[in-house]
Amino acid sequence: MPMEQPDHIVRSYDEQLRRLRDMVARMGGLAERQVHDSTQALVRRDAALAAEVVARDAALDQMEREIEAFSVRLLALRQPMASDLRFIVAAMKVSHDLERIGDYARNGAKRGVVLAQQPPLGSLNGVQRMSLMVQENLKLAIDALVNDDAEAASRVWAADEPIDTVYNGIFREMVTHMMEDPRNITAAIHMMFIAKNLERIGDHATNIAETVHYAVRGDSLPDERPKADVSAYAVVRPPEQA
Amino acid sequence: MSSTTDEQQAAGASFGGVQARSDAPINTVSRISVRNLDFFYGTSKALKAINLEVPDRQVTGMIGPSGCGKSTLLRVLNRMYSLYSGQRAEGEVLMDGRNMIGPDVDLNELRAKIGMVFQKPTPFPMTIHENIAFGVRLHERLSKSQMDERVEWALSRAAIWGEVKDRLHTSALGLSGGQQQRLCIARTIAVRPEVILFDEPTSALDPISTLKIEELIDELKRDFTICIVTHNMQQAARCADQVAFFYLGELVEVAPAAQMFTAPREKRTQEYITGRFG
Repeated sequence: MPMEQPDHIVRSYDEQLRRLRDMVARMGGLAERQVHDSTQALVRRDAALAAEVVARDAALDQMEREIEAFSVRLLALRQPMASDLRFIVAAMKVSHDLERIGDYARNGAKRGVVLAQQPPLGSLNGVQRMSLMVQENLKLAIDALVNDDAEAASRVWAADEPIDTVYNGIFREMVTHMMEDPRNITAAIHMMFIAKNLERIGDHATNIAETVHYAVRGDSLPDERPKADVSAYAVVRPPEQA
Repeated sequence: MSSTTDEQQAAGASFGGVQARSDAPINTVSRISVRNLDFFYGTSKALKAINLEVPDRQVTGMIGPSGCGKSTLLRVLNRMYSLYSGQRAEGEVLMDGRNMIGPDVDLNELRAKIGMVFQKPTPFPMTIHENIAFGVRLHERLSKSQMDERVEWALSRAAIWGEVKDRLHTSALGLSGGQQQRLCIARTIAVRPEVILFDEPTSALDPISTLKIEELIDELKRDFTICIVTHNMQQAARCADQVAFFYLGELVEVAPAAQMFTAPREKRTQEYITGRFG
């Protein structure tokens, strides 16, 4: 349930907070689009689209700087308290997460350009599926921020596990390709990085969800989040089981 | 050293002790316990069933919109209201096990224990030295040298000694507003109270004088229990260990300052401190 609050006595303060909310929403929208286009470029072997994604990253960086500057200004000039303070701090933190998400998308697009010149390496269904799941979580997390919806944020926070599962599948698949034929190594390594990027983007979406939960409720989600990324132990068994 | 710190961190203690400050439980030793206090101006009820523990040697900030009862509570704590007919308090204000609003309390003794500093500096039209000595003489018989010592002690504790030591025998009215307010604080602590009540002590002062008073409050809480009523939320945030929010004669919420201003529990508190009231 979104939290409803009455307006501030000072109307211009409400307008500024709305503007900040709007800035974060727009930045979130652009970050989502970057993730989407980055995957599309890979799937369609579209170097032009990949180049667009790389070029557009500067806009995200600029938005992050603007959100930060505007937040600092609000902190100094309005001396916000309680939910307002938490929201402004959240906007700053979320803008950092979104900037980093943009970096991963750009990196994926660059790798997509290289992959387009390599022979295709099996199906891209896994990566596509992972990308869709990550985009969905990112969208829900940003919506939760815009709507002050802590429950929606908690759902995003708990929904990262299936993404990890798909990631583990891709990881094993790529290891198999490399073992089958060393000529696959270049493409498989790039694919692994792309999958890892998406997995990291998913983690940033959960970071955003945690931040939103704090902004709305004033308390933190538990330290331990459901996780299923076991790729760190995919080849070697964890020591305690050895 | 460092391994201890690491162990503390592993055990959940916070990095830099930040957590400790914001979430530290307020000193649990209570100096004043307000129990079920009602207060009436004639027939109108200005305080409704107030329950509040004022922790020993800490700063309790009281905030709330005009007419919410916070200044009334200060007036009850040092029995200012007894000067007026038609005003009465019911319930208990316990200090050392005694009900301070009971009929058998000697008001002079009470006010020596619980001093008050007002919104506007109120120096007497006397010399700086006399401003301090006057109140002390009401309670104690001191020799001249003892009195001089006491005057210096009080002025030093109020962080104004350096500024006035060469003009002790000139009129207090020649001091600046901020100096006059610190003189009034010195006058209050000269009788060695246990509790000091501040009723908007800086609302008539410029920002630098305000910060000096706030620094002084921080210093004084080592020895005195302090209650401060303020309309300035940032001031409450800066000075207070515990903050109490009053609204329409009710005590809505009491919490450590860091919690109060980042994540208050009550909706009315949230709306007031974020400026969404009315």
